[in-house]
Amino acid sequence: MTEPLISELKKAFRGWFLPFKYNLERWAYALQRLSGIVVTGYFLAHIVETGNVVGGLSVWSVPSTDMARDIWTATFHFLDNPLFDTGLVVIGFMLAYHTINGIRLTLAEFGFLEGKASRPDFPYEAKSLSKVQRAIFWLSILFAVATTVYAINVFFGV
Amino acid sequence: MLLHYVTGLGIVIAGGVHLFTVFLTGPYLQNLAFSGGAYSVISVYRNIILAVTLEVLLLFVDYHALNGIRVILIEFHQGEAWERGVSWTLIVAGILLLIYGTRTILIANALA
Repeated sequence: MTEPLISELKKAFRGWFLPFKYNLERWAYALQRLSGIVVTGYFLAHIVETGNVVGGLSVWSVPSTDMARDIWTATFHFLDNPLFDTGLVVIGFMLAYHTINGIRLTLAEFGFLEGKASRPDFPYEAKSLSKVQRAIFWLSILFAVATTVYAINVFFGV
Repeated sequence: MLLHYVTGLGIVIAGGVHLFTVFLTGPYLQNLAFSGGAYSVISVYRNIILAVTLEVLLLFVDYHALNGIRVILIEFHQGEAWERGVSWTLIVAGILLLIYGTRTILIANALA
């Protein structure tokens, strides 16, 4: 409470996004937050990009179809290059992981598929990450990788 | 927090429909052209069901994303000024994004 805001924020950031010496569940949650932030950035860019379908920020009444077509085609040609396609592949990975892991977290919030609590014995593994929860986590990684492969196929034809 | 889970599930459904119409209904480049295919940009906006799905998706993603950012930032630090600043900034940003996105959907739906 008494330390300055900046150092507190720095410590909190390091604790959350660099969870070394924590278990798998903590890493899964850190990746959930990171993927959420990345996809939020994409959401902002996407709203701006699709705003160009009707002609951009200056259009607030129905414009001529030709003007809208020209501005959208120009926007799409600007975005249709390998750099942004790679970005989209990354977004695909992040979104797929975030979705399936989010389903796992939603189930956990309402108590489904959690492990039973019991006395912590060596090696002190967290009982909350039961077998099924762990399986769903690896499913989320698998789904993310599959989405990446599909996206590379769509954008790069490989 | 509950709204976070509800909007999350809503995004799985509405986002699934959106990604389906873009990627799984024909060549990806055709679906991103202005017009010319059954699922090209203007065709999708003119279809009332798909346009409503996009509006619902916009609303849900807007809430889910910005509330997510709010949860992360407030978990970093708690205090009157910090919480108020974070919440108001994100609420204003959310409303602006919603207005701009809805404008896009309404105008594209009305394009001749």
